[in-house]
Amino acid sequence: MTLIGVPGRSGGIAVVRRLAGHLARGLVMILVVTTISFLIIRNIPGDPMAAKYEKLVEQGMSPEAAQQAVNVLYGFMPTGSMWEQYLDYMKGLARLDLGQSLTVPGTGVGTVLMSAAKWTLIPVLAGTLLSFLVGIILGVYAAIKRQGKLGDLLAISGSLLHGVPQYVLALLLGAIFTTLIPILPAGGTADIMFEPGFNAGYIGSLIQHATLPVVTYALASYGGWILAMKSSVVTVLGDDFILAAELRGMKRSIIFRYIARNAILPLFTILALSLGMLFGGAIFIERIFNYPGLGLMLIDSITGRDYALMGGAFLLITVAIIIANIAADLLYTVIDPRVRSGGEAA
Amino acid sequence: MPVTDKRAPGVRISDLSVVYRTGAGELPAVRGVDLELVPGTITGVVGESGSGKSTLALSMLNAVQPPGRIRSGSVDIDGLGDVVTLGGEDLRKTRGRHVGYVFQAAQNSLNPLKTIGKQLLDLGRSHEVDDLPGLVKEARSLLDRMGLDGARVLDSYQHELSGGMRQRVGIMLALVLNAHVVVLDEPTTALDMITQATILRIIREVHEERGLTTLVITHDLGVVAEIADRLAVMYGGRLVEQGPTREVLGAPRHPYTRGLLQAIPRLVGDIDEARALPGRPPTLGTIPPDGCVFRERCDVRMDVCETGEPPVLTIGPRIVACHTAAGEGEQKETVTTGPTRGEEQA
Repeated sequence: MTLIGVPGRSGGIAVVRRLAGHLARGLVMILVVTTISFLIIRNIPGDPMAAKYEKLVEQGMSPEAAQQAVNVLYGFMPTGSMWEQYLDYMKGLARLDLGQSLTVPGTGVGTVLMSAAKWTLIPVLAGTLLSFLVGIILGVYAAIKRQGKLGDLLAISGSLLHGVPQYVLALLLGAIFTTLIPILPAGGTADIMFEPGFNAGYIGSLIQHATLPVVTYALASYGGWILAMKSSVVTVLGDDFILAAELRGMKRSIIFRYIARNAILPLFTILALSLGMLFGGAIFIERIFNYPGLGLMLIDSITGRDYALMGGAFLLITVAIIIANIAADLLYTVIDPRVRSGGEAA
Repeated sequence: MPVTDKRAPGVRISDLSVVYRTGAGELPAVRGVDLELVPGTITGVVGESGSGKSTLALSMLNAVQPPGRIRSGSVDIDGLGDVVTLGGEDLRKTRGRHVGYVFQAAQNSLNPLKTIGKQLLDLGRSHEVDDLPGLVKEARSLLDRMGLDGARVLDSYQHELSGGMRQRVGIMLALVLNAHVVVLDEPTTALDMITQATILRIIREVHEERGLTTLVITHDLGVVAEIADRLAVMYGGRLVEQGPTREVLGAPRHPYTRGLLQAIPRLVGDIDEARALPGRPPTLGTIPPDGCVFRERCDVRMDVCETGEPPVLTIGPRIVACHTAAGEGEQKETVTTGPTRGEEQA
């Protein structure tokens, strides 16, 4: 009559130890990722300064003047071996200094990332949460009614939206709501006629401009949620304890809760990861709706060979995913008692 | 229609047929079963895997799972009527409240995300139990009776309990609402010998204490020998022999029952005396439509077995369906009931 692990008692220490382990692993991962991305970024062909220099020369500037202008513009020219550059970069990182952006001269990478992040976080977060909520609720129905027309319809809608690439959806919705029925703006974040700030006009315009990106993002990810939830619910429906609950005469509403709660568990990992991925921005959607988020910034930094900004963006994505993983793990200790007691499930 | 009478209810299963829809049409899993559960007795149903015994057990609650369905027959329980005709809320309230069911895979019959106590409360709320503290008290005392620390078990999650403990929790949940008909489907499968013995003793004790009518489904003749007053042997969806346990085991009349007994290895004597029954039991698809279901494996087969349905003969307190027993007893069609009440109980 021994209980294997008692929840709650040693729980606190276990969580702290778990967290410490996660953080240590996270730091190692960050180190590895930054090193790899540093090497890759520095080895891709193209040199932004040389490119600028050539551009200025093409525009009719003398080579000396162009060289001068480039130096003034960027404030420095990288010297030293790759190894020295790497050490400099890492030292900077240790001080949380991500370096200077090359495409937005004179601005720190951190500042550029921050200003882009706010345009990604809110719409993509809204889109993810919206599609998650709608997807899981409809996913439960798709599973329960899987033998009927409604279930088929829901599953088909999921597969269809899951299969259509994001940019096709974006272009389609853009064409419909900005051209055929021009009720939404085609791009940007807000109308320039409004003073940015906490006023109704500006906020209204913000929402108007965010609608298409959010809806596109939500629709594009909805399919994944409904399909994942459906299969998860179908698995739980086959579990013995659901039949057992029915044989004990449990109320339908209670059985429904049993099913939903057990089925949603595996989806939290996916949700946490996609919240981490959020920092990669929605590249196609931001490009099409000209929304200045992280995705757009990443494209610009790559085309502009902005090493520092690229490195910063990759680092941000890495850190976000690692944090999301840790958050997911801690979340499980709250919502899944089997994880709480150290996973010694019998 | 609550059971107001405190005495154990009787159960009469008549001409019960259950079919499963398959690619090859509807195939019978249970065919024309007649079985009376005498009030206050334990009836054991034995048979090999696929003999239809679990389907029979589920029929007691009108809970045959799709693609199966009860095609004909009735399960008449004193005070409840024919459960085959019940549906919706009436059926739900019968389950658990009046007919307790201990699940075949009782190890997995609990929601992994909730403590046993919370699931107990869900059960109470499902059956409109007003006195929830009383229910908890009852559950605790039942668990205590079964040799567990009731308070602690109610505070535990499924994964913190061993197989034997979960099995006892399953029995507790079947009894806690004071059901007087209890169906136990393989209550000791997958348990070690000592735990099995303990569980069987508990079943027997609680059965006598509470005055229950109990049906135990098992593939293990030893289990039946230990606790059942009456024994029914099932083969290929049919009851081939039934009667008081000691008589059936002491002098089996059906060749299948004899085969089962001969297949048991003894602790004393020559191990070679145990002879496995040749051949394999029929599956849904291979049950012969005409003649005796057992003839393929029978060592006393006659020509008539190929074509003629074995007559169901009543010989004293026993019923046997075999051509070889013809002439020994009365044919079923000439008597109106199965075993009479008040017969000698082993």
